[in-house]
Order: sequence, then C-alpha cells, then structure tokens
Amino acid sequence: MVRRGTILNFLSLALLAGGVYVLADALSNSPSRTISLRAGVLGIILLTSAAGVAWFSASSMQKGCRELRRQLDRVLNRQQLLIDCPHPDLRPLVSTINHALEAVQNTIKTAGIKTKELEIQLKVATAERQHAEAIIYSISDAVLVTDRFDELMLANDAAARTFDFDLNRAQRSPIDQVLHDPRIIEMVRDMRQSDSKSGRRIVEHRLNTPTGERTFKVTLSTVADQSEPDCGVVAVLHDMTKEKEVAQMKNDFVSNVSHELRTPLASIRAYIEMLIDGEAEDEKTKTEFYDIIQNEANRLGRLIDNILNISRIESGLVKIDKQPQSLMVIVKDAIEVIAPQAALKNIKLEEKLGSMIYQTMADKDMLYQAVLNLLSNAVKYTPDGGTITVQTEVDVAKHAVVTKISDSGVGIPPKDLPYVFDKFYRAEANNRMAKGTGLGLSLVKHIIEAVHQGRIIAESEVGKGSTFGFELELID
Amino acid sequence: MSEKTILVADDETHILHVVSLKLRNAGYRVLTAQDGMEALELALHERPDLVITDYHMPQLSGLELCQKLKADPTTTGIPAIMLTARGYHLEPHDTEQSGILRMISKPFSPRQLLTTVNEVLLNAA
Repeated sequence: MVRRGTILNFLSLALLAGGVYVLADALSNSPSRTISLRAGVLGIILLTSAAGVAWFSASSMQKGCRELRRQLDRVLNRQQLLIDCPHPDLRPLVSTINHALEAVQNTIKTAGIKTKELEIQLKVATAERQHAEAIIYSISDAVLVTDRFDELMLANDAAARTFDFDLNRAQRSPIDQVLHDPRIIEMVRDMRQSDSKSGRRIVEHRLNTPTGERTFKVTLSTVADQSEPDCGVVAVLHDMTKEKEVAQMKNDFVSNVSHELRTPLASIRAYIEMLIDGEAEDEKTKTEFYDIIQNEANRLGRLIDNILNISRIESGLVKIDKQPQSLMVIVKDAIEVIAPQAALKNIKLEEKLGSMIYQTMADKDMLYQAVLNLLSNAVKYTPDGGTITVQTEVDVAKHAVVTKISDSGVGIPPKDLPYVFDKFYRAEANNRMAKGTGLGLSLVKHIIEAVHQGRIIAESEVGKGSTFGFELELID
Repeated sequence: MSEKTILVADDETHILHVVSLKLRNAGYRVLTAQDGMEALELALHERPDLVITDYHMPQLSGLELCQKLKADPTTTGIPAIMLTARGYHLEPHDTEQSGILRMISKPFSPRQLLTTVNEVLLNAA
C-alpha cells in the first residue's frame, strides 16, 4: 500500500525536478523567445506546484503531530488506552508507542492483581492475629509468648497482673527485665534451648504475686517455626491455689467426717458390748447405757442428716415443703433434743420463748435442723457450767420473728466471724475446743437464706460468747 | 498382785466412762482426764502403770502427751495405748519414739481393749 504522504513527497519532488529541468532548458538553449517564454512559465508553474505540494505535505504532518500529542495527553489522563494513528507517516511511531502502552498496561494490570491478593492476605493475617490475641487476652490464665531472643512478644492482662508489669511497655523487652522471677526466666530459656522442639513441659511453681504467694501450673511449649532453627516459647500459668485449697478442704472434710461418724458409733458399739458382756451390774447402770446408746445413735443420725442435707439443698434435690409453722414449737423441740448434751457439761439452758400464735411460712424439718445446729454449736463451744439462752420474739417493726441463741462460750475472733458460714471453714482458734465438720453453720445459712429468704444473725466477742440466730418474715 | 493404775484420757465423756468401767470391773485402778494437759498433770503426779489416750484432744494431743511423758525421766517408762479414729495420721516412727506400744482404732471393742491392756502390762512387768 502506497501511503498518501509518500505520494505527496514523490509528487513534489517530481514537480520540483520537472520545473528545474524545463526552466534550465528554456534559459540555456531556446531557439525562439516564444518557446522559451512558454517553457519558462511552465517551469515556474511546476516549481510553484512543487512548493505547494511540499507545503501541503508539511502542514498535514504538523496536524498529525498535534493530534498525537493530544491523544498522548488523553492516555496520560487515562481517558483512552491506545493511540489512533493521526498521520500515515506517524504510523510506525504510533504502532511502537501503542506496543509500549500495551506492555505497560499489562504490567500495571498484573501488579494490580498481585496487590489485591496481598491486600486480602494481609486482611486475613490481621484478622487471624487479632483473633489469636483476643483468645489470649480472654484467657484467665497468664500467657507469655517469647521470641528466640527471649524477648516478650505477647502477654495478656492476667500475665501483667501476675508478674506486675505494664503490658504496653513490656512488649519487645527482654524477659529478665519484665519478669522478676528467676525460676520462670530459667524455665523459658531451658525450654527454648531444649532439643525437643515439639515437646511440652508442665511444672508446678510457687510464685510471689501482688496478691501474695500462689501456686501455678506452668505449661511451657515451643513455638514451632519451620524456617527458624531457634524458636520462641509460650508459657501458660494456671493459678491452682484455690484448687489446691479445695482439694485440701475436701481431704480435711473426709477425714473430719469419718472421725465425726466414728465417734458416736464407737460409743454405741462399746456400750452394746458392755451390756452383752454383763458389765452393767444393776438396772440403773443398764438404763444409763440404753440412754447413752440412744443419744449417740441420734447424734449419728443428725450428723448424717447434716452431711446429706447440705449436698441435697445445694444441688436442689431436696423437696421444700413450706407450711405455716410456729417457730416457738420448732425451737422447743430442738431444745428438748439438745438438753442431754447440755446436761453432760452442766450447761444451763434458759428459754425465753414468745407466744406460739405467731407463725411463719417454713419447712418444719429444715428449720428444726437449723435450730438444732445452732444449739449444738452453742453447747460445743461453751465450757462446763456455762449458760445458753434461747430467745424467740416478734419484731413488729420488721414484721419478723427473731430467734437468737446466745452462749457464754469462747467466742469467735473477728477475723474468723465473716467466714464461719463457709463450708468446711473452722475457726483455727477454736479448732481444739471441739470437733466438727465445718458443715453445721453452712447448712444453717442455706436453710435460712436460700430456702426461707430470711436473715442470718452472727455476733461474737472472744471470751464472752456468741449469739447466732435468724429473722424470718411473719405471716398475717 | 498389787493394783495397777491406768490413766485414761479422752474428751468424749461416753468413751471415758465405758473404758474406765470396763477396766475397773477387771480390777484396775482408773484415773480419767478430759484433755491432754489434765492427763499430763495427772500422769506426772500419779505415775500410772499404763496410759490409754485418744489422739485428738483439746489443749494437748494424745501424741504430744506421750512425747512429753517419754521425755520426762520420771515417766519415761510408762507404756501407752493410743485409742483413736485417726490412726492413719501416725507414723511408726512417731509411735516408737513416744512409748506407744499399741494402736486401737475407734469404733473399738472394750473386751479387745481389756485384752490388749492385760498383754501390755504383762509384758511390761
């Protein structure tokens, strides 16, 4: 295909050559003036035409270039992708530019896809990291993550509290500057340097924390990383102080309960054997033995009831049967049962019971159990010859009936008083005074507060005695 | 045979009563104490031929009582029988060092206790 520009160039060159030739010929060897004039005019016309064609050609090229620049500007402004060829002569140039543009655009496109992929990966990684951090922060156990330089990479609030450090400032700090427990630092280092990269170690360790000395189960694991020969360590510290205390309490409880059960059983068996062996010589002694056997059997029964009731009430298994009851009648029954034990210690039982007319909605058996437990404690912790006063009265203002059992016993130190209703708790000071399971008062509290929505009364003065009791709402 | 004296220490009145009755019926002279301190004073003063004691007692435990008696030159030779529901608390080492020759766990048979008392006193004689 012959291009227009080439034709114009060729034409202008032909006209130029023709003009020059005709003009030169006319000037050099013209036989007549007329012929030479004609030839001269033709030459000039040819030359003028050549100049015209050349001018036309140059002007069209300029326009093409301008168009090219305009289009390039549009490409720069992303208004178009490729260049339309504005001039035939510019076609090779435009073609090369378009090739270059296509190559650049492809590169940009590929880079864009890669960027998108990376953005997605970053989002996923960020979400995963936040997820992992949220898990670590939500764990109540203390978690420490260290890197291969033994620097703290990650820790949670529980760790900051346990080791008493500032979570924000401790990040990226060497662990020996953050943790002030040489043993833990040593454990982390040992774990990191150990050969078993997949292993796990569990160590029991006592630690001084801001809340005192506590026992932790420390679980150490290495952070597996294929690319790194050295690796970091995760240490999880589980506070097992309470668990140990509960385990100890349970042990004590089993031991106490078995002792408590064996004591009345020992009396029953011994006295029965004495009767069989004819060791009771007269009727009076025999009757005394029968009474002892009966009382001790009752005591054993009460103990078993206490142990069973507390677990039944706690687990919600026990059926509560509330009926209008006269508290004074219940208290009177309990006093009768406890009187023999009080008599053994020469303890005087004073009754100040109000009228039986007043009634309260109560489960008779449970309330009886509560009163009996309070009376039994009063007898236990009152020295020989002491006095126990049992009082029931109506508090009109509170619309309640108040029962109080006051003793002239050893009393409870103020530091122990808030805890005496806790299961298994026994005031250290009075532990030697009497045996017990640490269940009696716990059961009373359950019966009064949980079952009857009443209020517990507990007052005590060391050396003077204690007053335990409760308030229950009256029914109209 | 001169009358042997036995000291019985237990904070459970019924146990104290039944043991002393069994021993008295068998011809022994019996002294009783309701806590460890009272038992120690009685033992130091009366120097019984045998001590029968509960383990868990107010003031002074049965083991502490026996250790104190063993440590005192005037009472060091008195044999002891531990009557307790908590026998598992005691190590053989503790009992050997405190002159405790026998352990009887509650619930117990007074008949068996008397047999043991007779044996211990016979061996001690």
